[in-house]
Amino acid sequence: MRLYSPSREETLRVRRFLKDWAGEGFLSKEQYERLEVETASELRSTNIFLRLVLFFFTLIGVAAAAGLFFVVFLPRAPQQIAGIFFLIFAAVWYSAAEFAVSKFRLYRYGIEEALAVCALGFLCMGLQAVVFGGRLYSPAPDEARCLVPAAGAIFSFWIWRRFGLWYAFPAAMIFVVFLPGYWTASLSARHLIVAGLYAAGLMWIATQRPRHRLDYLDDTYSLAEAFLWLGIYLAANLRLSSLDLLALDLGAQWSGAGAGAASEFARPFYWSTWVFIWCLPPVVLARGFRLKDRALIAVGAIAAILTFVSNKPYLGWRRHTWDPMILGVLLTGVALFIRAWLARGPGGIRHGFTAARLSGKDKHWMSVGSPILGLIAPESITPTPPASPDFRFGGGASGGGGASSDF
Amino acid sequence: MTILARLERWKERGAISPEQYVYLTSLSRGEPFSLFLELNVLLYAGVLAFVAGLGWTVTTWSRQIGDVVIFAVLSIFLAACFWHCFSRAPIWSPGETPAPSPVFDYVLYLGSLVWCVELAYLENRFHVLSGQWDLYLLATAAFFFFLAYRFDNRFVLSLALSSFAGWFGVTISHWPSVQDAAYREYAILYCLVVGTGGALLQRAGLKSHFFGTYLNIAANVLFWAVLSGVFEQQSYGLWFFALLVACGASLAWGLTRRQFVFVAYPAVYGYVGLSAILVRGMAGETAILSYFVVTAVAMLAVLVLIARRFGRKA
Repeated sequence: MRLYSPSREETLRVRRFLKDWAGEGFLSKEQYERLEVETASELRSTNIFLRLVLFFFTLIGVAAAAGLFFVVFLPRAPQQIAGIFFLIFAAVWYSAAEFAVSKFRLYRYGIEEALAVCALGFLCMGLQAVVFGGRLYSPAPDEARCLVPAAGAIFSFWIWRRFGLWYAFPAAMIFVVFLPGYWTASLSARHLIVAGLYAAGLMWIATQRPRHRLDYLDDTYSLAEAFLWLGIYLAANLRLSSLDLLALDLGAQWSGAGAGAASEFARPFYWSTWVFIWCLPPVVLARGFRLKDRALIAVGAIAAILTFVSNKPYLGWRRHTWDPMILGVLLTGVALFIRAWLARGPGGIRHGFTAARLSGKDKHWMSVGSPILGLIAPESITPTPPASPDFRFGGGASGGGGASSDF
Repeated sequence: MTILARLERWKERGAISPEQYVYLTSLSRGEPFSLFLELNVLLYAGVLAFVAGLGWTVTTWSRQIGDVVIFAVLSIFLAACFWHCFSRAPIWSPGETPAPSPVFDYVLYLGSLVWCVELAYLENRFHVLSGQWDLYLLATAAFFFFLAYRFDNRFVLSLALSSFAGWFGVTISHWPSVQDAAYREYAILYCLVVGTGGALLQRAGLKSHFFGTYLNIAANVLFWAVLSGVFEQQSYGLWFFALLVACGASLAWGLTRRQFVFVAYPAVYGYVGLSAILVRGMAGETAILSYFVVTAVAMLAVLVLIARRFGRKA
């Protein structure tokens, strides 16, 4: 099913290991050069920047070519006719992606990725136009119209399997989110269906992973499993999935009056999800640590933080301005405790874990990430200079959590 | 052949030593498993959440808590952070210096952010400099540059560069809505100062590893500034010429230094600028779409050539 042979992908994985180990000094320069030659790959790859730019220009070229075709040959075509040509384009772009890989041995090169993504887009637009005459998404239940997201999900999943593009998997999950809207009007049922479909995916992944624990597919399945856990968590957390945290009525939110989500769902369901969002993060973290799976550990940590953030809205409690401070102290404390606990182990290792850096990639991420994060931070936390001359500090009333105050 | 099988073969052939074999085999199995990155991200998120809450609390409850308490608490935080950093810092060196402890960088970052909160509080409450925010930003930038170079910290260097940009009047949040000539000129001046300053410091051997940060920030601001001039309805010719010069310089730098991000910048910014000029004079959808088809294919061809020549096989 996969477009690249296992031996080629395994060779690429070996080369990544070699580069990492050489960067950390675990291999001498001579050893690295000798072993790198030995693990030469026929696949043609490029660096991340050229990959992104090639992706960008392929998207422009494909979109413009399709647009030109319609302007020149079908300027006033009915929706259905246009839809048929969209489907033809989808087939053409997909074939081009396959051809680019088989003929030119492109691997994460940007071009074949953009062609596959365009095929997905044209497929969805084509189906929408052919079957439903271009009518837009409607929240009203209508089983037949689930065809478009279903096709999108299946095709995204196919691209993930065939090309190994990691982002095709969350794309398939996003399409799945739209499916229950066509089947039922019940919000609770929609949440349950989405979580159920993700859970089914999780079970499938769980059957596949053990066979690939030590080969090139482990990373692929690890990431997919992490996305599925995150999807289940987001589907279960009614305060996040109903976007209450981003509600415009922030005053009501912070005073605890924004209990809208509670009334939209049956009480047993609402409180079951509250219990669930507290239980899920430890389960994911435990699985992540047991498998030594970085993606699962990250998702477990993200889910735990989201649970802390959404707990008060869940309970209908008022949030305070100092809540982020408490969260910050908690996160820092946990990080320091784990680091100190690991460092006290023999050789800085406990239960197979260490706080020491063992990979050159970690250093690279820190070097790249720190200037970017440093740039973002002041924008979000530094108070903005006053807009009017007569502003003043204070004035926040406790009833509004200070939301009505000026700065 | 999996990595374990290859390691076995390399050991038998003598390409790696038995000690290396044991160590690399365990590493490829994730034994030990490093939590270095995760713990650093947790520390960063913790510091950010803490300062966000601190700033929020101070702004919301200043009247109830009182100036003295707020000022005292912020000052204690500040003093504690900087005492920690100055008392534990190794002797200064112009080269890259590792942090003396894993939390050192984050304590410094926390102190720098608390400094921002305290300064904003002071000015808002007491108008010490009569609302002259420019001076605060300049002083803050200078202070952060000092801290970044003293403690070899990229987080704080970014804070310094953004404070400096704020002084020039080009905070990032202004870009989507404000593109008038004044901002553009300040932005270009900022790029020149930052770029030249970074180059001089690198040449002097002072924290040479910071140069990449200087260059990336200067390049992006420069391209945005010049591009905004190209989008002007009138007298855009000079800006277009400046864009071509910037693209050429960036491309030459990227190819000679094999830093492909500087190849990506001219490809995208240059294409957008050139398209803005050419499409402006075109009439009809057919001509515009044809232009995009032809130029996209041409760009792909050029980039593939560059990738084949300067990129790498997988």
